[in-house]
This record gives sequence, structure tokens and C-alpha cells, in this order.
Amino acid sequence: MKPAIHTRDLSFGYKDRAVLHAVSLSVEKGEMVGILGPNGSGKTTLLRVLSAVLSAQGEIKLNGRNIATYGRRELSKLFAVVAQESHVNFPYTVAEIVLMGRASYHSPFALEGKKDIEVARASMELTDCLFLSDRYLHELSGGEKQRVMIARALAQEPEILLLDEPSAFLDLKHQVQVFELLRRLNRERVLTIVGALHDLNLAALFFSRLVMLREGKIYRDGSPREVLTEKTIDEVYGIRVRVEPDPSGEKPQLFVCPSL
Amino acid sequence: MKVLDRRRMILVNGVLLALLAFSVVGCALLGPVRLDLSQALQNIFSANPDAEILFRARLPRVLLGVAIGGGMAACGVVLQALLGNPLACPQMLGVSGGASLGGILGLILFPHWLLPIAGGLLGEISWVPLAAFLGALLSMMLVYRFSLFHGRLHPYHLLLSGVIFNSFIAAVIMFLNSIVDFYQAQGLLFWLMGSLSTRAYLTVAFIWAYIIVGFLWLWAKGLSLNLITLGEEAAMQLGVETVALQRQIFVASSLMIGAMVSVSGMIGFVGLMIPHVVRLIVGSDHRLLLPASFLAGGIFLCWADTLARVMLAPAELPVGIITAFFGGPFFLFLLYREGRRKLAL
Amino acid sequence: MNRSQRILIVHCFVGSLSLLCGLNVFAQAATPAPRRIVSLAPSVTETIFALGFGNRLVGVTTYCDYPAEALKLPKIGGFMSPSLEAIVAKRPDLVIGVSSATDPVKAREMERLGLKVTLISLASLSDILNSIKGIAELLGSPDAGEKLVYKITEQFDEVKKRVAPAPRRSTLLAVGLQPLVAVGGKNFIDELITLAGGENIAGNAAQPWLNLPDEYVVAKAPQVIIEAGMGSERERSAKHWDDLKSIPAVKERRVYAYPSDKILRPGPRVGEGLEEIARLVHPECFAESKRGPNKGSGCEGSRP
Repeated sequence: MKPAIHTRDLSFGYKDRAVLHAVSLSVEKGEMVGILGPNGSGKTTLLRVLSAVLSAQGEIKLNGRNIATYGRRELSKLFAVVAQESHVNFPYTVAEIVLMGRASYHSPFALEGKKDIEVARASMELTDCLFLSDRYLHELSGGEKQRVMIARALAQEPEILLLDEPSAFLDLKHQVQVFELLRRLNRERVLTIVGALHDLNLAALFFSRLVMLREGKIYRDGSPREVLTEKTIDEVYGIRVRVEPDPSGEKPQLFVCPSL
Repeated sequence: MKVLDRRRMILVNGVLLALLAFSVVGCALLGPVRLDLSQALQNIFSANPDAEILFRARLPRVLLGVAIGGGMAACGVVLQALLGNPLACPQMLGVSGGASLGGILGLILFPHWLLPIAGGLLGEISWVPLAAFLGALLSMMLVYRFSLFHGRLHPYHLLLSGVIFNSFIAAVIMFLNSIVDFYQAQGLLFWLMGSLSTRAYLTVAFIWAYIIVGFLWLWAKGLSLNLITLGEEAAMQLGVETVALQRQIFVASSLMIGAMVSVSGMIGFVGLMIPHVVRLIVGSDHRLLLPASFLAGGIFLCWADTLARVMLAPAELPVGIITAFFGGPFFLFLLYREGRRKLAL
Repeated sequence: MNRSQRILIVHCFVGSLSLLCGLNVFAQAATPAPRRIVSLAPSVTETIFALGFGNRLVGVTTYCDYPAEALKLPKIGGFMSPSLEAIVAKRPDLVIGVSSATDPVKAREMERLGLKVTLISLASLSDILNSIKGIAELLGSPDAGEKLVYKITEQFDEVKKRVAPAPRRSTLLAVGLQPLVAVGGKNFIDELITLAGGENIAGNAAQPWLNLPDEYVVAKAPQVIIEAGMGSERERSAKHWDDLKSIPAVKERRVYAYPSDKILRPGPRVGEGLEEIARLVHPECFAESKRGPNKGSGCEGSRP
């Protein structure tokens, strides 16, 4: 069974510095992987490379096929990306935004069809933003906007979902909501999910596999219990924590130990 | 859940088309001189002053105004999408500046003054519009070259290059303005403020064909334009070949703008204002915004030209003054009324 | 379009654009007549030469090209942009400019530097004649001024007499075709047209020069169209109006291209300019009649 995403010796950098170095990663279909690492470790860059926004050296295969052989329209049906923030300078309604996720499914010369509208509606229901459908995007709160972006990503009916710090601007309630939704999608639709995360505790709770990046290289790759150790956190993040299991006993949670 | 559907497309465009037809007829019938319509229609082909006023003096310029107004508005829409900036306008690309400079240099350096385009192009090539178009092409290539960044036409650089280029051109034009004589200064004013004065149906037909083709091509890209306004990366992830699209839009709109400025000088504000006004009414979906703006731009310029002919009769004002004079405050009024909530500024 | 044409169009534009009469600071009776004069306009240069004081000119503009001696005089800059330094360097007793063209800021600067500056107005025919007299007075020779004005007035009268019997012809005098720039009202050329037995179709306009829309020309149906200062041949200029056959001037082939600066300069040659215009508006009044040149003008009963 070909892995959904497979990279080998992936490297990317600018003239003066390397951002990613020899990253070799394999994600099976249906996996839910969290990418961790401090700022500047290359999380976002990795996602951008995986989504073909940046081109890097090394090999990337999606579903066994080299990424370069895909056309962009094809790629947009294969995976969808939820970015950290969205800057849309023009007034669009939520419905319009979500429908744009269907762009690759109908002819560019035609308007959206019934199926497109159905899929968009379902996506918005799933992310609980259908009631916002006729509001303008820029009127919404950060959390609402994020849900709309996820709805749009889902409207693309992707096999793979890439998320860049999806909970960055959300309050706790919505953070949990988003992750619970992701887990549900992962289980019900066998959606492969790769998310760059900054909240280690939530990552541990919701993601079954974590990849820790340090200065552009993979430092550790495994289950939360394997990756989130006090030693690893100290070496990668440079802070001292205590790791204890969560109430269920299965997942590790970090407790920060401030020096003062 | 409101969605753009066929019905809305037909409704909006139909209404605008009807308004356009009305405007063409209305503006052809209006002017600083009184027109006897029955006389004009009776002996169309004889040496009939009313017929000549209607069909030779007014109608060509009304039709030209529709084409140019529509073309400028369409280019405005497209450039705002390309540059990701609601305040972009056709003038920003530097192409119109280059066209003006080309035209001005053509005017100054060819002392046998501008051979009129009237009466058809056969046997008489008009140097100045050709020089202008050449200027447009050159400036387009220059701005393109300076905006290329790692092989990509980055909107930020495009904007910057265009604005800097325009400033430079403006300085050169001011310099020329200080050394030319009165007659040439009048010609200069034409380039800077625009004029739809023409009697040549051939030119009008040519421009019409050119602009219609350009517009249709841009309209076909409507969906991609929507996507690209979400941001370059988002557009890529939604399936748009952004690098190619940016290049194509830049070239297409530059060619259109270059042709328009070559024929009628720089008519500003249409490309900036009409897309906004139309957006306030029909929304930002480019599949509807483009044709609606095209039609609205034609209507607007038609009437602006009529005003230019009538306001200080018998003198004729440059139409660019009218567009600026009325365009600005009208837009402010609309902005105030509709409320800032609809504009993500 | 050659240089002299450009020059006079600059000049006629400037001269006729003055909005109000400038500062007519004439005769300071007690001071001696100036011997070093700088002229800031071609018509001023012509006037000074015509008055016989060309030898007192020490500086002229680059556009001053008549009479031929003026070309040899030192230049102090362009028409709209004379060089302050060049003017001062000539140490003139008197600087004469035109109120519509000379930058008042520059004029004040010159006065502050101790130069005597006079700005004359050339907006109307009477302004032109008065300015000739005024300049003559400033130069200490009012008689020369009177004589010159008398000569010009005689030229006017001669033309008026010739065209008197003929009916007025509506006239369009254009100095540019794309865009169409025509002589309007409050313009000395408009007065010349009237004196020449014509009627300026744009004479009621408030502006001395204006862009005319084509429909206006068709509606006003001028009988004569003069394209002044243009270098094109008659055939080519007629082509511009070819498709507007309802215009009488087009129908009867009375479209004239007139590549001369005389018509457009508000200076001492204005009388000759009038004759040129009259010859175009009423050519039949200048044809030698069979009864001999002095026996009537031969244009009684000429068709409109």
C-alpha cells in the first residue's frame, strides 16, 4: 500500500541558510501526524513544500507518484491546506469562500453546480459555520474564520489535510473543537491529516504520531510517549518540563517548570 | 445560502446592457448643439448637417467611450485581483505612463503635426498612436523585467515597479512640458487628460474588436481571479497555476491599456472607481464582477464624455477631468452610504 | 512644423491669454531714455525693431526671429522661461515682458535686483496698439510710436474698405487639429477676423483658445476654415474635414492651410496679418478686377 506522503532527503533553503535538511518522512493513508518544533524549525516550510507551494530538493511522492507529475488542479483534489491566517483583501461571503474550494471540480467557465453546493453546505455544517454562510468573511472572529477555512478545505474533498497551526488564534473551547473535529474526520473519512502544532499538550492528546523537528531536521518521530520526553523537550525547546501521564493514563502531558 | 447562479448573472448583465444601450442613444442625442433628429434620420448619406452631427461627430466618440470605459473598468478589476489590492488601477502598471510618453514624443518629434485618424486608416498611418503603443510595449517589458523575482511576477514588486516607473515617466513628461510650445502643450494635455474626440469608425471598430477579445479572455479567467484574491499560496493550493496566470494577466491587461491610451490618452479614475462601485452592488465574484464592471464602465464614460462636451460649451473639456471631478466625490458618497462594512479596507 | 511656426504659436497664445491688463507701468517722464533693453517676447522684439530702436536691444528670447537681425542678438532664454541670470548679466536699463507670459515672481525678482521691468498686455488689438505707443514712450520717442500705430491703422482701414461690400463669412480659425484648437473670443485674432469681414464661429466663447468638438463646427457651418500655422499642404488639410461635407467651407473648398506666423503674432505686423486673413476670408475682394486695381474691389455682390 503506497504511503500517502513519502519524502526522502528533502532539503530546502535560501541562499544563506538551510531551512530543511534531509527530511525523510513517510505518512500512511489515514494517519494523523503532528509536526512539532520551535519557531524556525521548519514546520511551516515543510508544509509548504508538501503542498507544492515551494519546490525543494529531494524526493516527494504522493500516493506513490512524484509530486512534480501532478498538475495543480489534480493536487488540489488530493490535498487541502488550512493556513495559519488568511488575508483576504476583498469582501467575500462565507459561502463564496467555501465554494471556492470546489474550483477544481467544475469547469472554470461554469458556475457551481448542485453537487458543489451540496458539498459546500455539508462542509459548513460539519464545521458549524453554516449559519454564517451569508456573512462577510472579514466580519467574523478569528475562530469563526478558521472554521470557514477548514470548511473550504473540506469542500475540496481531499484525501490529505495539511494544517498549519490550526489553533493558533483560537480560544481554548474552539481549539478543542477543532481538534475533535479533526479526529472525527480522520476516523470517519479516513482522512490523512498532517498538522504543524505549537501546543504540545493538545498535540499529545489528539495526534497518534508526532514528528519533532529541530533546526530543519527530524529529531524524533514516533508516538507521543516516545517523542515527548523531558530530555527531548529540553534539547529541542531549551526548557525544562515535567512529563506526567494524563488522567486516562495513556497520553503524556507536559508541565512547565518555571525557574522562578 | 446565497450563491451566484445563472439567474443573477443574466439579470445583472441584462439590466446593465439595457442601460448601456440607453446611454449610447442618449449620449448620441445630447450635446452642445441642438440636433434635429428627424432631419438627421431622413437624409443620412447626403451632406446633411444633422446627420453629420449625429453619425459623424457624435456616434463614433460615444462608441469609443463605451469601449474605453469598459476596457478600463475591466482592466481595473483584473489588476486589483492581480495585485491583491483594492486600490490598484490601470495607471499603476506604468503602461499608461509609457503610452503617454510615447505619444508625446511622437507628437514632438514628428513636426508634421498629427495626421488625423479621420477618414479611415487607408493611406494615412497615424504616427502618434503607434508611437504611443510602442511606448506601452516598452514600458510593459521594462516593468515586467523589474518585477521578476525568482522567475515569478510577485504582485508586490509589480506594484512597486509600476509606481516608480510612473513617477519617472511623470517627471520626463513634466520636463517635456517645460520645453514645448503652445501647440505641442495642447497635444500634451490630450495625453495627460484624455479625449474621446474621433470621427474614424475604422479606429473605433478596431479598438472595439481589440477590447472585446481582451475582455472575453479575461472573463474566462474569472474563477481563477477569484482564487488569486485569496492569496498566492491559497490560490496555488486551490489549483491555480499562479505563476502563469500572473504573467498572462499582466500581459493581457497591459496590451489592452496600451491600446486604449494610444487612442484616447490617459483617462483615469474609471479603472479605479468602477470596480469598487460595482463590487458594492454585485459582490466580489469576478465571474459577475467583470462583465458588470465592463458595462458599467462603458455607461460611465459615455456620460462623462457628454458632460465634457456640454459643460463649458462651446469649449470641450478633456474627459479625464470629468472622470476625476465626478468620480472621486461620487465614490466617497457611495462609500459613506453603504458603510465601510462591505469593504475590507 | 518648423521653428518659426512654433515660436509664433507660443507667442500668440501667450499674448492673447492675458486675463486682465497687466501692470501698465508706462512713462517715467523724468528719467533718460533706456539704452540697453531686454525683450522677453518676440512681438516686443519686433515692435522695438519696427520703432527703429533695434540697436538698443541687448537681449532677446530664443523665439525672437523677426526681423532677421534679431537672430543675431544675444539670447536670454526661452519664452516662458527666461533666465534671470542672463538678463541681469546684460545690465539692462529696461526689461519689457508680456503680462500673461512673464512669471510675475520673476518680474518681482528682477525689480528687487534693481532692474526696471515693464509688462505690457497684448490681449486685444487696442492693447497691442497701445503697447506700441507705450514702448515708444518708454524709449523716449513717442512720435515713432504714433507713426507706427498710424501705419498699422491705415493697413486696417485699407482692408476694411476692401471687404466692406462683401457679406460677412462665418470663419473658423484653427491652430491645431488633433485636438481641434480654435480661436475664441477675447482674442486679438478674433478681432482680426471680424475686421477681415469674417465672423468667428467661436467668437462668443469666454476663452481665447478652446478645444472645439466636431459637432459644434458642423452646427456652426463656417464658410471659411483657416488652419493657421500648420505646415501641411492644402490638400492634406482638407482631408481632415473631408467627411463633413455639409460644412460650406468643405463643400466650396474654402479650407486653407496657412503656414505663416504673421497671423498669429500680436506685434507690429498685425496689419499685414489682417490682410493675410482677409485674403483668405474674402479672396474675391483682392482679385485684380478688369477695371484695374484701384477701381473698386470687385467684390460687390459676391456670394456669401
